[in-house]
Amino acid sequence: MSGSKRALLAGIVASGLLWGQAARAEDVVKIGQIEALTGATATYGWMSAQGTKVAVEEINAKGGFKVGDKTYKLELLQMDTRGEPREATVQFRKMMEDKVHFVFGPFLTNVFNAIEPIANQNNGKFLLFAGATSAHNALGKPDHDYLLRTWNWDAGSVGFGKLMVDYLKKLHTKKVAMLFQNDAFGKTAVDIYSGLFKDAGIELQVELFEPGTKDFSASLAKLAAGKPDILFPGYSDAVLYDIVRQSTESGFGNRFFLVRGSIGPALKNKDAIQDYIAYVPKYFESAEKTEPKVKAFIESYKKIFKRDFPYDQAPLCSSSCYDHVYMLVEAMQKAGTVDDVAKIRAALLNMTYDGLWKIKYDKTGEAVFGFDVIHVRKGGAIETVQYDPTKE
Amino acid sequence: MKYAIAVGLLLALVAPAVVHSDSILAIAIYGFMAASLAVSFNLIFGFTGQLSMFHAASFGVSAYVVTILVTTFKWNFWLAIIPALVVVMILSLIVGTICFRFKLKEFYFAVVTMAFSEVLRLITLNWNSVTNGSLGITVVDKPSIWTPSGSFAISSGVSWYYLTLALLVIVYIICHRILASWIGRCLAAIRLNDQLGETLGIDVFKYKLLSFAIGSVLAGLVGAFYGFYSGFVEPHYFSIPLGLDIIAMVLLGGVNSLIGPVIGALVLTALPHVIELSAELRIALYGSILIFVILVMPKGIVGLLTSRKHAA
Amino acid sequence: MTQLVIGQMLNGVIVGSLYGIIALGVTLTFGLTGIVNFALGAFMMFGAYATWYLYDVVGLPYPAAVLGAVIFVSIVGYISDRALFQFTRGNLVNGLLVSIGMISVFEALVLAAFTTTPKDLTYVLPGALHVAGIVLPKIKVAVCVVFLAVIFGTYLALTRTWLGRAAFAYAQNPEAAALMGVRTGRLQTIVVVYSTALAGLGGGLYASMYSIEPTIGSAYILKAVEAAILAGVGSVIGALGGGIILGVSENLGSVFFPSAFRDAYGLVFLIAILLVRPGGLFGDRP
Repeated sequence: MSGSKRALLAGIVASGLLWGQAARAEDVVKIGQIEALTGATATYGWMSAQGTKVAVEEINAKGGFKVGDKTYKLELLQMDTRGEPREATVQFRKMMEDKVHFVFGPFLTNVFNAIEPIANQNNGKFLLFAGATSAHNALGKPDHDYLLRTWNWDAGSVGFGKLMVDYLKKLHTKKVAMLFQNDAFGKTAVDIYSGLFKDAGIELQVELFEPGTKDFSASLAKLAAGKPDILFPGYSDAVLYDIVRQSTESGFGNRFFLVRGSIGPALKNKDAIQDYIAYVPKYFESAEKTEPKVKAFIESYKKIFKRDFPYDQAPLCSSSCYDHVYMLVEAMQKAGTVDDVAKIRAALLNMTYDGLWKIKYDKTGEAVFGFDVIHVRKGGAIETVQYDPTKE
Repeated sequence: MKYAIAVGLLLALVAPAVVHSDSILAIAIYGFMAASLAVSFNLIFGFTGQLSMFHAASFGVSAYVVTILVTTFKWNFWLAIIPALVVVMILSLIVGTICFRFKLKEFYFAVVTMAFSEVLRLITLNWNSVTNGSLGITVVDKPSIWTPSGSFAISSGVSWYYLTLALLVIVYIICHRILASWIGRCLAAIRLNDQLGETLGIDVFKYKLLSFAIGSVLAGLVGAFYGFYSGFVEPHYFSIPLGLDIIAMVLLGGVNSLIGPVIGALVLTALPHVIELSAELRIALYGSILIFVILVMPKGIVGLLTSRKHAA
Repeated sequence: MTQLVIGQMLNGVIVGSLYGIIALGVTLTFGLTGIVNFALGAFMMFGAYATWYLYDVVGLPYPAAVLGAVIFVSIVGYISDRALFQFTRGNLVNGLLVSIGMISVFEALVLAAFTTTPKDLTYVLPGALHVAGIVLPKIKVAVCVVFLAVIFGTYLALTRTWLGRAAFAYAQNPEAAALMGVRTGRLQTIVVVYSTALAGLGGGLYASMYSIEPTIGSAYILKAVEAAILAGVGSVIGALGGGIILGVSENLGSVFFPSAFRDAYGLVFLIAILLVRPGGLFGDRP
C-alpha cells in the first residue's frame, strides 16, 4: 500500500524532472501549442498543429535562424487538450513552468476562457497566439499584454462578418435563419451576428442543436416554415456536409451563408444548391496555381506528413499556424532577442508579414489579414471576392 | 493497512515542501477532488451495489449553485455551500425515491439516473439567463478563511493543495464512519442480497436512499470547491464521460475498499499528463490500460497489493 | 403543418430504425452475456469508415462495400470477444469499462489512419420521393427498409431456428439451457459477433446518409441503450419499437419545442415509461 503511493509520488516527481530537463538547452526557442487534436472538436486545432509543424521542420532543416550572432533552432511542444478546459489548464501551467515564451492556440472559446486567469498571472513572461473568438473581448485589458488574437474579427468596421452581411444585403436578403451548434462558440456567434443582422435591417431566426446531431430534418423543417431567404449554418465541416445535403435533398432550402467552414459541402452538392456564400481565409485549390508560396507549402506538407493535402481544412491555417511561426521568427530577428517578449510583441505589431497570407496586427494585437469571400452558384461556378483589410 | 494510509497521508502533507511545480500541484489538486468524488461514489456503488450515473449531476448542480450565489448574488463562498448541498440533497432524494420505489435493478437504475443527469445538463446548458448557457460562468473570486491575523484568500496552488487534501480527508472519514456503523452493515446486506435484507427486517428502500443521498451530497461538496479552483463552471461538468471516469477510478483502485478509489483517482488523473506521446497514441494507451486493469487486475490496485502481501 | 408533422414523424421512424439496429445488438448481448457492449457505437463507426474506404477509395459497388464492412467488423468483433469480452461474461461493470477502453483504442486507430477530417460518401442514391407534399430522401427510405428487414429476419431466426430457440432458452434460464445441451460458450460468442455485425451494418448504411467522423459512435450507442431499456431488454421487436419511439419523440419534440433540448424529449419518455412499466414497454421481467 505505502509502496504504491510512494511509487506514484516518485513517478510524479520523476516526470517533473523530465519536464525540467528539456528547458536547459540554450540555442533552442520553444514554441508551445495547445489545441484539441482528438475528440469531437478536433478539426480546428488539428490543422493548425500540422501547419506549425511544417514551419518548424522547414526552419530547422535550413539550420535554424539567426538572431544577433547566434543561431537558434525551434522546438515544438504540442499538447492535446481534447477540447477539455481542465486538461488545458494543467498543460498550460506546465508550459509556463517550462518557460515557453510563445504559446500557439487555443482556437476553442471554452479552452481560452479556462486558461485566461492563469495566463494573466504570467503576464509579461510569454506571448499567446490565440484564435478563439472569446479572446477578442480580452484584448487590451489590463494584465493581457501577452495576448495576440490570430483570427480576423467578425464584427467591427472592417470585420469580415460585417463585410459579409453587407454582401448579403446587396443580394436583397430580408430574413436569415441561423442553425448553430449549442456550444461556447455557437453562442458567441449568435451574439455577434444577431447584432450585425440587426444593424443591417435583416430579420433573424435562430435554432440551436446539440453537438453530435446528425439528422437536422426537424430543425430544418421548422426553420423552413418561417420562409427565410437564406440559411446560416455552423460551424464544423461535418455538420455542414449534413445540413447542406439534408436541406437541399428534402427541399428545405438551397441558399447558404457561412462564416466558419469550407466550401466542400457546396461543391459536393453543386447541382442542388442555388447560392453558397462562405468566408474562406484562402481558397487553396486556386491559390495553389497562382501563388508559389502556397504551392511550396502544399509540397512541404505532403513530404512531411506523407498524405494528401487537406484542401478543405487548409484555410484554418490562417490562425496560429504556419505563417505565424515565420512571422514570429522575423519579429524576433527585428527585435534582436528571443526572450524579451515585450520587444517581440512590439516588433510584431509594427510589421506586415507576407506569407501564405499578408498578415499584420492592429494596435490591440488582433490579426488583420486578407481573405476571400467565395460565392458558389448552382452547377459549381465559383466567384471569388478578395478583401485585403491590411491595406487600410 | 491503517499504517500505510497514515504514511501516505504524511507524504502528501510534506509533498509541497519538496515539489514546487505549479502544474504538478494542479494535478494533485484535481486528483484529490477526483478522489473525493470517487470515494463518495463508492459508497453508493461499491458498498451499496447501486450503479449511479447521477454523480456528475450532483457535482455539477452544486458547482453551479455555489458559483451563481457568489457571482450574481454576492454571497460568501462558505455560506453558499449550504444551499448548494440542500439542493443536491433534494434532487437526490427525488431521483432516489423514484428509482428505489420502483425497484429498478442494476442497469435500469444506471440508465434512469443517467437520464435524469442528462436532463439536468440540458437545462443548465439552455437556461441562458441564469447559467450563461454553453459559455459557462467564469469565477474570479477565491474563497478566503479567517485567521487571527486577518482573512486569507485561498488562491495559491499550495493553499488549494491543502484545502482539497482536507476535503478528501473529510469525505474519507465521513464514509469510513458510515461504513463502520450499523448503517454500513445494513448496506452490505443490501449489496449482497436485498431480498434477504428485507426478510432480516432491514428497510431496504430507506437505506438505499440514505446511501444515495449521502454519496450525492458529498459529490456536491466537491463540486462547490471545484469551480472555484478551476476558475469556471460549464455544462460539461454534467457530462456522461465524467460519470464513466469516476467508475473507472473506483474499479482501477479497487471496488471493495475505501482507499482503492483514492489510488485509482490519483493514478487516472496523473496518467494523461505523464504519458508523453502523440495525441492518437495517448488515447490508445489510455484505453489499453483501462482494459488491461479490468481483465488482469479484477480487484484493482489495492487487490493486487494486498494479495502480493499475503503471498510474501 | 400536418405535412410538417407527418414528415417529421416518418423521419423519426427512419432515424429510429438506425437506433433500433444498434439497440438490437445491445439487447441481444445483454440478454446472453449480461454485459452492455458500449463499444457497439465504435463498431458502428468502424463499419462506416470501412464502407467509405471500400466504396470511395477502393471503388467497390456500394452493396459489396457494405458487405465487406460487415465482414470486417464481424472479424474485429470475433477477435474482441475471444481476447476481451469472454472474460467479462456476466459482469456488467467490467464489461462496460472494457468496452469503454475499446472505444478509445478504436478512435485512436481511425484518427491515425484517416485524421479528423470528416468523410462524406459519394451519394449512393440521390434524390427524394414526393408523396402528398411530404418529401422523403430515397436513401433514407431504402436504409430504413433494410433495417426493418434485418430486424424482422432476426426475430424470425430467433423464434424459428434451433440456435435461436437455444438463445432464448439461455436468456431465460442459463442452467436449464446448458442441461438441455446448449453449448453456452459458443452461443455467447455467436451473439456477441452477430451484435457487432449489426453495428457494422448500421454504420455501413449510416455512411450513405450522414458524414463520418471518428466520434460518431458515442451518440448512437447512448440512444441504442436508451431504446433497449425503454423497450425492455431481451425483446427483439421491442428494440426496434424503442428506437422508433426515441426517434419520433426527438423529431416531433424538436418541431414543437427548441431543438437544443432534442435529447431530453426521448429521455423524458424513457423515464415516464419505466415508471409505468419498470420492465420496459415490451418486456415482462423487471
